[in-house]
Amino acid sequence: MVAENSTPHLHSAVEPKQTFRRALDMSSRAAMPSLFIMFSAILLSAPFGIPGQAQLQFGIAMCTVWFWAHSRPRSMPALAVFLCGLVVEIFSFGPPGTVLLSLLVIYGVAHHWRYGLSRLGFLMGWLIFSIFAVIASFFQWALVCLHAVALLSPAPGLFQAALTIGIYPSLTALFVWGRRTFANPDQA
Amino acid sequence: MLSIHARQVLAKAILPILILLAVGLVLLGLVRRPAVDGVRLMATDFMAPAYHGLVWPQGRVAVWLTDLRGATDLAKENARLRDENRALRHWYDVAVALAAENGRLKNSLHWIPQTVPQYVTGRVTRDDGGPYSRAVLLDVGSGHQVRIGDVALDAAGLLGRVTEVGPHTVRVLMINDDASRIPVTLASSHGDAIMAGDDTAAPRLIFYPQDHHPVEGERVETRGQSTMPAGLPVGTVHYSAPNRPVVVPDADLDRLDIVRVFDYGDDDSQAPDAPGRVRVKKLPQNPLTGPLPFSWLPNLPDMPGRGGQ
Repeated sequence: MVAENSTPHLHSAVEPKQTFRRALDMSSRAAMPSLFIMFSAILLSAPFGIPGQAQLQFGIAMCTVWFWAHSRPRSMPALAVFLCGLVVEIFSFGPPGTVLLSLLVIYGVAHHWRYGLSRLGFLMGWLIFSIFAVIASFFQWALVCLHAVALLSPAPGLFQAALTIGIYPSLTALFVWGRRTFANPDQA
Repeated sequence: MLSIHARQVLAKAILPILILLAVGLVLLGLVRRPAVDGVRLMATDFMAPAYHGLVWPQGRVAVWLTDLRGATDLAKENARLRDENRALRHWYDVAVALAAENGRLKNSLHWIPQTVPQYVTGRVTRDDGGPYSRAVLLDVGSGHQVRIGDVALDAAGLLGRVTEVGPHTVRVLMINDDASRIPVTLASSHGDAIMAGDDTAAPRLIFYPQDHHPVEGERVETRGQSTMPAGLPVGTVHYSAPNRPVVVPDADLDRLDIVRVFDYGDDDSQAPDAPGRVRVKKLPQNPLTGPLPFSWLPNLPDMPGRGGQ
């Protein structure tokens, strides 16, 4: 694991007593990223009339999985990614399975390369994420075309990719803060 | 308890297994899309009250903003409303006179009145589009009689057609969706055309007669076909580019709130069979036993009504 257990004072031999309340606190902090994806997917499916709501669902899920899979994989296991993907699938009306598959693939990449990504720095990580966001949107567009048996305009897919890439820095800032504070199981 | 080795194998195998499941879902979506959409519709049915709660503050804020805007400019708003009221009174008188004249003319023509369509009114539960489609979900309550193919209208014009029906919720595919094709009639040039959605705000007009091009600004109405009745207001023609007529919809497709879904019933106006194609019952080969009194007649036609075959 890369970023977790990085604070030295938490490695002391004196551990807090493991009570039920502490276990609950730890698990809720660990589940924070998954709950964030599910909550935003459900919230963004409400009819607020905000432009790009459906694209935001996809973008938030992609950014969250990418960040937590490489920075604290214990807070984002594969099964949680699958469950989050299913929730996003249920609360969106795109071609079935594409968001789920994209999330799992991006999880696999981030989890597999987590040591390399932690050395590369933010900008390089963002660039690699951008490439995968474009590939995922292209895959979604290809499936929609296949389903419609017609060549549709790729503009909505490009907009979705651009939105996903665009919200990544601000979400990363939120997650970096959360990793230290409210989503850090070691601080329970 | 699993051994460390078994746990490691399981940890390595879980991601490929989940990816395979996701691929299975993609294939299921391609082959049996209605099954997946049914699950989504059930989830929306379940969440409908929560959605109303979520958008309630937004609605209240919008009402306050409208009130605030009206309050800041009361004198001007009053003058505008007086003018509008005067114009509406004039149009009311015209409409009453026309309705009376229409009634008289229909009476003298022995006009057969059309059946009054059944309709339900619902609130838009959620915008259900996504990047590549334009659709909305309506909360129409339990015990509704809405069927697939029913016509959805807002206060101003045609909105779309019902594509999926759930216990409380129905999904309406809007006229600007890429999959939407609506047969329409152009009111003044009297040409027929197909209005094809292309995921933009204004659907295109295609398959119009080449000698009757749509005229800029003319009204577009539905052409009576299957469950779609004739004469529903759709919008007006506009040329977004040379030789590219589009329809500017009357309905406000971006800000939908209350929508009515009409059931015009099945199309029972079947055309009669062509005279030469009347199917007749075959007579028995030998209906009468024994020698016929007129068996000397040459070449009797054995089947009436076969002239066209």
